[in-house]
Amino acid sequence: MSCGDAAAYVLGALETGEAERYRRHLDRCPACRDEVAGMQRVTDALSMAVPQYRLPSGLRRRTLRAIRPQSRRATPVRVAIMAAAVAASLIVAITFARMTGPAGPTAQVRIGGARAELTVRHLPSPAPGRVYEVWLERPNAAPAPTGALFRVNAAGAADVTVRGELRGVREILVTEEPAGGSRVPTSRPVIVAPTN
Amino acid sequence: MFRAPFSFRAAQLRALTDEALMERIDDADAQAFEVIFDRHGGAAFSLAYRMCGRRSAAEDIVQETFLSLWRRGGRYERARGSVRSWVLGAVQNKAIDSFRHQAATAGRDVSDDQALEELAAPNLTDGEADRRAEASQIRAALGHLPTDQRRVIELAYFGGFTHVEIADMLELPAGTVKGRMRLGLIKLRLSLGDLRSAAGGVR
Repeated sequence: MSCGDAAAYVLGALETGEAERYRRHLDRCPACRDEVAGMQRVTDALSMAVPQYRLPSGLRRRTLRAIRPQSRRATPVRVAIMAAAVAASLIVAITFARMTGPAGPTAQVRIGGARAELTVRHLPSPAPGRVYEVWLERPNAAPAPTGALFRVNAAGAADVTVRGELRGVREILVTEEPAGGSRVPTSRPVIVAPTN
Repeated sequence: MFRAPFSFRAAQLRALTDEALMERIDDADAQAFEVIFDRHGGAAFSLAYRMCGRRSAAEDIVQETFLSLWRRGGRYERARGSVRSWVLGAVQNKAIDSFRHQAATAGRDVSDDQALEELAAPNLTDGEADRRAEASQIRAALGHLPTDQRRVIELAYFGGFTHVEIADMLELPAGTVKGRMRLGLIKLRLSLGDLRSAAGGVR
């Protein structure tokens, strides 16, 4: 039934459910796979066929700076929402980091039901004997501790699962705390991720 | 513009293929990333700008695309073809995500906020020249398509609209939009086929 959707698929014009079905169809249909490959040559060329501009000054510098892990910083990473995909029973908010300073930590949050997956990159290591702690902030309330404590690897990366009731949570915060965590935040957040 | 190599290592890196550079990026080589950015940043920005019509949004998309390439390292989808294809595909996806997000909140702002310098004659590597040739071939072929086919292709690919949204917009029956996309892309593909055989010396 899906044969014939190759053009709409490579143009990104299928509805979400249709695209899923078509991808499954491609696993089974070599003829459609060939057709998609041929049409992808067209879309690749289309994306090059637009008027070409010189990179705005500053974009190269900002991007290169963003990949270099840097020393600790005082201002939090403001995380802005880029896209939201909503399934019937889940609220899924995908957030993406926006750079606010010279360093380039990024954070991504996925929320589903009673858990959130926090993906952190390029965050400096906490000081010796200290850890990062995740907090849930609701309007008019102090940030609630989650028990999610983490350190980052040498590249500044960590994947953290945060369990707990996430309804009503306005922001997910990360602060640096003494090993073992704290009951109230004792430092300024290094990550602030709004959840809606 | 001639770029003076700032070190022997930088010059060596600039001589490498994209694929070899991606392996270094996998090992967190920031200089290799710089070379990849210089090769593909302009095309990424141009596509993002064509799609968003706003310089600041286009810049955000380019930065996110390259940060995501940095994080993925060598795990970018080789199956999808070249690094250039991966980068432009990622730009396209991110632009569409941002459209859909904006549509859900405030509607799309398509104002052009700042003047940009259009490139007249970029300096070309061999691979770049091939890609440019394909791009100009497609541009010409697009110009020869019937308007109704070109329109649905542009709305989908650069505008990020689904076939259902396009059918609503143009008041067309369901199925018609997909049909026009298919006819249009088949013609465009044929035009590339011509180019490929011409480049290969087939008469």
